[in-house]
Amino acid sequence: MSRPSTAIRVAAAAALVAVAACSDGTRSTGPEPAPVLRTVQAPDLGVLARTVPGFGGLFLDHGVPTVYLTDVTKRGAAERALGGFAQSRGVAPAEIRVLQGKYAYGDLDRWTQAVSYEAFEQGGVVFVDLDEAANRVLVAVERGASHANIRSLAARLGVPAEALVVRETDPIVYASTLQEQVRPVVAGLQIHFGNFLCSIGFNAVSGGQNSFVTASHCTNVQGGVEGTQYFQSLSSQPNSFIGTEVADPAYVRGRKGSACPKSRRCRFSDASRAAYAAGVPFTLGGIAETSGPNNGSLTITGTFSVTSEGNAVVGDVVNKVGRTTGWTQGVVTNTCVNTGVSGSNIVQLCQTFVDAGVGGGDSGSDVFGLTGGSSVRLLGILWGGNGAGTQFVYSPITNIEQELGPLTTF
Amino acid sequence: MKRWGGAALCGAALLIPRTVIATPSPQRPDSLTFTLVAPDSARAGHPIPIVLRLTNTGDRPLDLYLTGRTITFDIVVTRVDGEIVWRRLAHVTSQQILQVKTLAPGEMLEVKDRWTATAPGDYTLMGVIPTDREPLRTAPARLRVAP
Repeated sequence: MSRPSTAIRVAAAAALVAVAACSDGTRSTGPEPAPVLRTVQAPDLGVLARTVPGFGGLFLDHGVPTVYLTDVTKRGAAERALGGFAQSRGVAPAEIRVLQGKYAYGDLDRWTQAVSYEAFEQGGVVFVDLDEAANRVLVAVERGASHANIRSLAARLGVPAEALVVRETDPIVYASTLQEQVRPVVAGLQIHFGNFLCSIGFNAVSGGQNSFVTASHCTNVQGGVEGTQYFQSLSSQPNSFIGTEVADPAYVRGRKGSACPKSRRCRFSDASRAAYAAGVPFTLGGIAETSGPNNGSLTITGTFSVTSEGNAVVGDVVNKVGRTTGWTQGVVTNTCVNTGVSGSNIVQLCQTFVDAGVGGGDSGSDVFGLTGGSSVRLLGILWGGNGAGTQFVYSPITNIEQELGPLTTF
Repeated sequence: MKRWGGAALCGAALLIPRTVIATPSPQRPDSLTFTLVAPDSARAGHPIPIVLRLTNTGDRPLDLYLTGRTITFDIVVTRVDGEIVWRRLAHVTSQQILQVKTLAPGEMLEVKDRWTATAPGDYTLMGVIPTDREPLRTAPARLRVAP
């Protein structure tokens, strides 16, 4: 519950006086007064606490104004103060519901403020509220956080044990998108280098070095290490530098007897590895999750967790999360395809095709299969797509590890 | 398909190119125009030069989010009945890197290619440049191909 400014409280008090004046039981033979309170704002609870004896809270119960009173015989005062508000909601003053309250609003307000002032120093507190629908002080803590610490704090502050409710809840986080700065860094987020944008494929540890993998063509030069510097999500943001390219094998020319076609340059993966800068938080195995596949949303709602690696076969349903088209999902149509890259002499050997959405900026994205709950099997990284944006191409994880070396990905 | 080089560009002038101003898309700033330049008539079997021009007509720089290190663009050729007879990006796999391209006031970005009609008839040409949102599209341009 927010606490309005003094000016608003004064205005609300004036409105309540008007409400009381209009609902004193007298009747007029003339035309009914204009329904000036049809659009009345919710009454200020602080004002109610001063004007209604024993007031302990107000809320709507299935649309019916409901008040807590420590002395239910003071119902008349509540009806007078809230009659206009009730009528604006289509409820007659006599139909206002009165519940037996145990604590006065003023006490609850004082206790709430006292607890709030100190509780946030303890880890895991999500919010502190005067719960006017329960006539209690409510402290919400993250799952697994200590209830006892909050209870002992409340006791020290003079809050009756019965007046306090401690409840577990999910932490409240800013709603971020795949294109914004997000920490800890997870797969699927936008990365920036030079004048280009790509996506993070997955986090990995290689030879003890904390790293992320993205596409080879998402480096300053595709093939070969030039120390590309990466920012998440844009270099113009403070604290956005996250790492430096450290591995990107060269493309090799085709020779007779090799898998690489004549006059082409080849690799089995379009993948590179960057080492995280010191102090950059990242989640090993973490992939940003949006609200659902193929819905276009870029808003992060959770995190997938890599729990295994594997390869897909034709007919498998696979997924990707990338900065441009978000979470897309579709069926594998071809595996181990030698794929020419438009506008170049590069052929990516043994790649996988998927009928699913893709767009510019998705290069480097994670590709994975769902295995239950938030667990996923890492399959590879996306690097290409068709002109219509309806088919993506990815490098399988086995090809990536063949070229970048063994990677710990979860 | 070969890229249209400088020599072809000079030859194209003889074909009396016509400029068609694209209809602004919702994602496009008012100061951005996207035009397709092509002859309105040609002969079957002869390459037809097609130019797409993206111009910042405003007085402020514009950041464009375009696909590819070399800008990816599509040209779609359809018959009068709507059947697609050529699509530049059909059966092509492009890298999905996004390039932030800044167009200074008055600056023009030009990409070009050629298409060879194999049969006479009336055709419609349209240029498309993918972005990280809705693609930019030119207005359709008519082309008559004689035998």
